Amino acid sequence: MKTNILGIYEDEDVLLHAIDKLQADGIVVADVYSPFPIHGIWSRLKLTTRLPYATFVYGAVGAVAIFMMLYWMSVVSYPLKFGGKPLNTLSFIIIMFVGTIFIGTLLTFLTYLGREKMFPGKQVVLPDPRSTEDKFVLVIANTEDMNEQETKHLMKMLKETGATEIKESTVNDHE
Amino acid sequence: MDKKVQLSGKFKLIMLVMIVLGVISVIAGFVTENGTRTWANLLLNNYYFLSIAMGALFWMAIQAVTQSGWSAAYLRIPQAMSNYLIVSFVLFALMFLGVHDLYHWTHADAVAQDPLLQHKAPYLNLPFFALRFVVFFGLWIFLTYRIKSLSLREDKVGGVAYFSKIEFSSKVFIFVFAFSFSLFSIDWLMSLDPHWYSTIYVVKKFISAFFHGVAAIAAIAIILRKLGYLPMLTKEHIANFSRYIFALSIIWAYMWLSQYLLIWYANIPEETIYYVPREMGEYKTMFYTELLVNWAFPFLFLMWNRVAKNENLVLFAVLVLIVGQWVELYMSIMPSIELKHAISLIEVGTFIGFAGLFGLVTGYSLSKMPLIPKNHPYLLESTTEEHF
Repeated sequence: MKTNILGIYEDEDVLLHAIDKLQADGIVVADVYSPFPIHGIWSRLKLTTRLPYATFVYGAVGAVAIFMMLYWMSVVSYPLKFGGKPLNTLSFIIIMFVGTIFIGTLLTFLTYLGREKMFPGKQVVLPDPRSTEDKFVLVIANTEDMNEQETKHLMKMLKETGATEIKESTVNDHE
Repeated sequence: MDKKVQLSGKFKLIMLVMIVLGVISVIAGFVTENGTRTWANLLLNNYYFLSIAMGALFWMAIQAVTQSGWSAAYLRIPQAMSNYLIVSFVLFALMFLGVHDLYHWTHADAVAQDPLLQHKAPYLNLPFFALRFVVFFGLWIFLTYRIKSLSLREDKVGGVAYFSKIEFSSKVFIFVFAFSFSLFSIDWLMSLDPHWYSTIYVVKKFISAFFHGVAAIAAIAIILRKLGYLPMLTKEHIANFSRYIFALSIIWAYMWLSQYLLIWYANIPEETIYYVPREMGEYKTMFYTELLVNWAFPFLFLMWNRVAKNENLVLFAVLVLIVGQWVELYMSIMPSIELKHAISLIEVGTFIGFAGLFGLVTGYSLSKMPLIPKNHPYLLESTTEEHF
């Protein structure tokens, strides 16, 4: 059975410095759970995402799709001249602009939910539910492979860097 | 921490050579071209560098009002630009020699035959025009000088008292700026076409000043870092500057479209006349260039995170935007003056001259005060922590 060791911190600045010290010591920090987003976690844990590229594609597709819809409606299906304006007209831009934002945002949101396997009403299993309140939880993954000396060293490092509580967890999504 | 910018002799020499080039170009303009065109060219460059300085100062005021932490180390750059306002005041005052060449509404005989100009005469008359000019510049110079001197006193004394005073002055400045800069743009640019008006026009000028002012700050910060002055300028700070430029390029395009689309849709001859020489005549290429350099390029270029964090690429984007603001003002001014589109060496030389003057004044002011506001309460946050 896979286990993780959790270091629980009270303050985000202490946590940031703890990550620096642990990484300098060669310890891999797998993840951090916090009540709010913290500046600096992203670069320290070397997290990456392709979500912005997906947003760009959705936006581009959205703009083209909305244009095609408007073109079909006002040029092909029901060509109605008013105000002397051309059928394929500049005023499409406003709807294209709004539609692009809407499609881009909505599909990005759905992609995010899909990738995270989330849906409304899902029961999320957290390593420590207090990370939604006032605790900052640092996860060191797969510690069952460590020998006793390594575990001891890890515990010592977590204590030294300011963890107020150290515990094991079997909640595992950090392969 | 008390480090000041050292101006090298080479920098001063280059700036002086640029100024001399500018003076030669202006003289050549008056000798070889008609006076109206040269006055219009002078107006363009005067307004250009005023808008850069005012946009940068507006950015500074925004930082104080929002109590932003990341930007604390860069506030001296707009503060140095505030000294250019005095130079700009003198240069704009010289423009009064050319008002009859530029502004149709200043001719009494033209107003006498024109009911519309008579209707506008209570606002558009020379004494009130001059009064507004003096009052606006007075307010801008007073308020920015006050913010700058408070910031310099904070350097000596410390504490948060000056921080809140600067915040209050910045609030006043933002309101004064929004109102007065709008009227200033109406006075000097929109009244070139005294029969035409657009309510979005001043908003676009305001956004354009803010947009290109921030770009100028980013460029100066990056250049100073390359010279070894601002070691705290991290990738995140560059990303923050490019976020400003990126967002403002969208707002700029929004304002451009708001003005164009409404006039296009309503199709009222009095309003569409403004776009006839711009979109259909000789200015056609410049019309689309304006959109390309101010919106399409920064929007698509700075969208990529890697570009937005790379100082050389951001510097390149700013160089394009420097041309962009010139094109924007060229399209506002020149088609109202004459229907012939011609950019000669005189235009280029005049711009180089003004750029030299602006660079010299800003550089000299930067060298006269500590580059980093060392007692700013948020300086630690700006120089040590990461910002996204």
